Amino acid sequence: MNALANNPTAQAVDNVLIYIFGFSLILLLGITVVTVWLVIKYHRSKHPEPTSEVSHSILLETIWTLLPTLIVLTMFWYGWTNYTGLREVPEGALEVKATARMWSWTFEYPDGQRASKLYVPVGKPIKVQLISTDVLHSFFAPAFRIKRDTVPGMETYIWFEATEPGSYDIFCAEYCGVGHADMTTSIEALNEADFAAWQQPKATGGEARGLAVMNELGCVGCHSLDGSEGIAPSLFQLAGQKRNLASGGEITINAEYLKRAIRDPNAEVVAGYDPMMPAYDENTMNDADLQAVVDYLLGKVQKPVAPKIDARALLENNGCIGCHSNDGSESIAPTFKGLGSRQVTIIRDNEEKTIKVDAAYLRQALLNPNKELVKGFPAIMPSADYLSDEEIDALVQYLLQQ
Amino acid sequence: MSQTSTYTGFWKESPRSGILGWLLSTDHKRIGIMYLGCIVTMFLVAVCLGLAIRLELIAPGPTIMGPQTYNATFTVHGIIMIFLFIIPSIPAAFGNLIMPIQIGARDVSFPKLNLLSWYFYVIGAILALLAIFSGGGAPDTGWTFYVPFSTQTTTNVNLAAFAAFMLGFSSILTGINFVTTIHRLRAEGMGWGRLPLFVWTLYATAWIQVLATPMLGITLVLVILERTFGAGLFDAARGGDPILFQHLFWIYSHPAVYIMILPGMGVISEVIPTFARKPLFGYWAMALSSLAIAFAGSLVWAHHMYASGMSDFAVLVFSFLTFIVAIPSAIKIFNWISTLYKGSIQLAPPMLHSLAFIFNFAIGGLGGLALGAAAADIHLHDTTFVVGHFHYTMFGGTGFAFFAALHYWLPKFTGRMYQHKPALVAWALLFVGFNITYMSMQAVGIQGMPRRYYDYLPEFTTLNQVATFGSWILAVGLVMMFVNLFLGCRAGDPVGKNPWGAATLEWDIPSPPPMDNFGPKDPVVSKGPYDYKGVVADEY
Repeated sequence: MNALANNPTAQAVDNVLIYIFGFSLILLLGITVVTVWLVIKYHRSKHPEPTSEVSHSILLETIWTLLPTLIVLTMFWYGWTNYTGLREVPEGALEVKATARMWSWTFEYPDGQRASKLYVPVGKPIKVQLISTDVLHSFFAPAFRIKRDTVPGMETYIWFEATEPGSYDIFCAEYCGVGHADMTTSIEALNEADFAAWQQPKATGGEARGLAVMNELGCVGCHSLDGSEGIAPSLFQLAGQKRNLASGGEITINAEYLKRAIRDPNAEVVAGYDPMMPAYDENTMNDADLQAVVDYLLGKVQKPVAPKIDARALLENNGCIGCHSNDGSESIAPTFKGLGSRQVTIIRDNEEKTIKVDAAYLRQALLNPNKELVKGFPAIMPSADYLSDEEIDALVQYLLQQ
Repeated sequence: MSQTSTYTGFWKESPRSGILGWLLSTDHKRIGIMYLGCIVTMFLVAVCLGLAIRLELIAPGPTIMGPQTYNATFTVHGIIMIFLFIIPSIPAAFGNLIMPIQIGARDVSFPKLNLLSWYFYVIGAILALLAIFSGGGAPDTGWTFYVPFSTQTTTNVNLAAFAAFMLGFSSILTGINFVTTIHRLRAEGMGWGRLPLFVWTLYATAWIQVLATPMLGITLVLVILERTFGAGLFDAARGGDPILFQHLFWIYSHPAVYIMILPGMGVISEVIPTFARKPLFGYWAMALSSLAIAFAGSLVWAHHMYASGMSDFAVLVFSFLTFIVAIPSAIKIFNWISTLYKGSIQLAPPMLHSLAFIFNFAIGGLGGLALGAAAADIHLHDTTFVVGHFHYTMFGGTGFAFFAALHYWLPKFTGRMYQHKPALVAWALLFVGFNITYMSMQAVGIQGMPRRYYDYLPEFTTLNQVATFGSWILAVGLVMMFVNLFLGCRAGDPVGKNPWGAATLEWDIPSPPPMDNFGPKDPVVSKGPYDYKGVVADEY
């Protein structure tokens, strides 16, 4: 969402935008109307020869030198005075530290809490200290009209104040490579009470510590948790998997490899990926958190979605098993049995294609079932797009294990 | 009707025959034609890349290419358009073709250096194209080569930067040549007050080329050193500074936008008086404002950096200077329009492109005011508003001036006239398509869509689709214009020496001009460049 009324930084910028765009529109209309009028009035069909040889006018030229000078100087001054409002942080602002990296954000609060979204209380000025661990990025929140580059080796800042609760986009506005357009997150403006509740230490067992760390540090900006491959390898079901390394050779994923891959990521890169992940040393991820992340990745802790969402119940309650069997029999729809290890022939845009069933395909099959239909079955399944993201995740993970 | 016979004049007369007669020619007209051929080719290549970018953005998510390909595409589009098309477009091609004749000279001051400049251009072009297909893949830094990304990416940045370095040399040498030529080789009677405005703008441009381009060369060499030897100049961890790079880069690259626009303004200042049959209004204001733009334009580079982390004091100073540079541009627009007053206006194709230039450039310039104002720029910076804005000045401005120059001067150099009706239709398509494309980009930028985005949020979809739709109209217009011009050059009706009834010197000599331009007797100038009394247009 990019609109929020009456917040102080947006107002400062909008004042200037309206003033300059307003003037510009008047000038453009004037220039265009006069030009068109002159072209019609003095067209050669009516005036075979010029009716004047006037080649200059000191008075006119002085006027149209001085007048624009005055106008642009007011624009300059108005732009500058409002700019100072963007730079002067009001007293009593809550200070948050934002770390930008390819291609995610981490926000750290004075009490040490970290998050991948910027949670803020409504009605309180927020000062965000900006740092970068790798290349230039830029913190851009259109709803607040604020933007500032994050520069490695230098600290910059912005401030804003949310006037209403809501979720407001944050973009990276300084080009930073292949994931630039995906480096988005949001400002989550909460009421005083909701923010206080959010600040309370999270009850353990709600979200596994390892997952929480990965969310805070922005790991999931590049590494998916559901098997879909992007700019970095997915972290879905890693335990015991074998991977080829870019330097040659093969590795079996275990706790030791994962720890090395976090502390010194570019030493043993999985083949097909660029060595671009920043290293996470003890200052950013302490040994306990490292252990928690590794445990989580190797499936030694229960996935948080599993206890909360009963995927099997979801399938039953939503009528899925009316068509899809659990026991291998197939009538009007493919069976769930053995889904995770199956190769199927699908029809996409009238072309046949053989694919392996994976998380990305299942997600698509749930949300947009008739786009890539398994050959031999009718296009009758309704989309499951009314389910929440968490429910879809739970279903995908459950189905892959069938 | 037309007959297809070979061209006469400088096309035929040459000490050497065949291809070597071109590749080793030091004649300014032949070098100009060679530039024109290369530049139009490069333009068409980069247009295709631009259309691919727009097609990718027709919907959120991947459509025709992956993110890495997309990043390389906009980078190469920018590098080709900036360094291989816009910067040399009017000065190197039309400057070489027209400027010596307009001042009554038989060639430039240093004809061999002129040929060397062309070879540097060609070498630069070949290296730039090689950079796409060799090494670690096409460069993906954007044409701005911002560090630290450009020092870290594994793509072929070194070769692309070296290509731009070579092109810079081509530009510097052309600048030296033009400054000297305009000072030393004016014909008898061709005082500074009788110089056509096109020559004045080339003169201002040449000074920027000579003074600012070395900065680019140095900066790009530093990037190569940083990448190859880890020099650390731009690395904060070793006492360097990434923002220093931005200063160095823009110290050249902002004046460079005036290298791009000033010669275009010169073309417009030739075309409008001719087709209004009236002297250009405010000759001295026009001439001096070109110098003022060149001078003040060299002092505004850091207005690209308000959000970079630079000090607030620098923002204050550069915002002020930026508004100062708007004034001479405004004067130019008012003077062009005043020239129309009580004239005898003919809407021939060059005139239509010039009127479109005024409209487009006005929008570009006014958008620049919003970007120059400190507070407004904080929101607009690095959004697609900026992309729309500089396309309004560079394409809507310089591009349309280039089209005006093609329609105005090609008949002089081929001795043949293109069809006017298709030229008018092509102009209308270009004008409409252009405005749909880039106005939508400006609008979606105001909504907050950052630039160089491969993917975008659903709320930006409609305007992106409109922009892509506009780019197709633009493409049809371009095809139509170039086909029409090509057919006109091949087999159009023969024209006399002065089809438009213009008063500058190039219209006093045959079309196409002979090798020595003026025959045995040196020209003597006895009237101003826009004195149309007694000048009659030849029928064609």
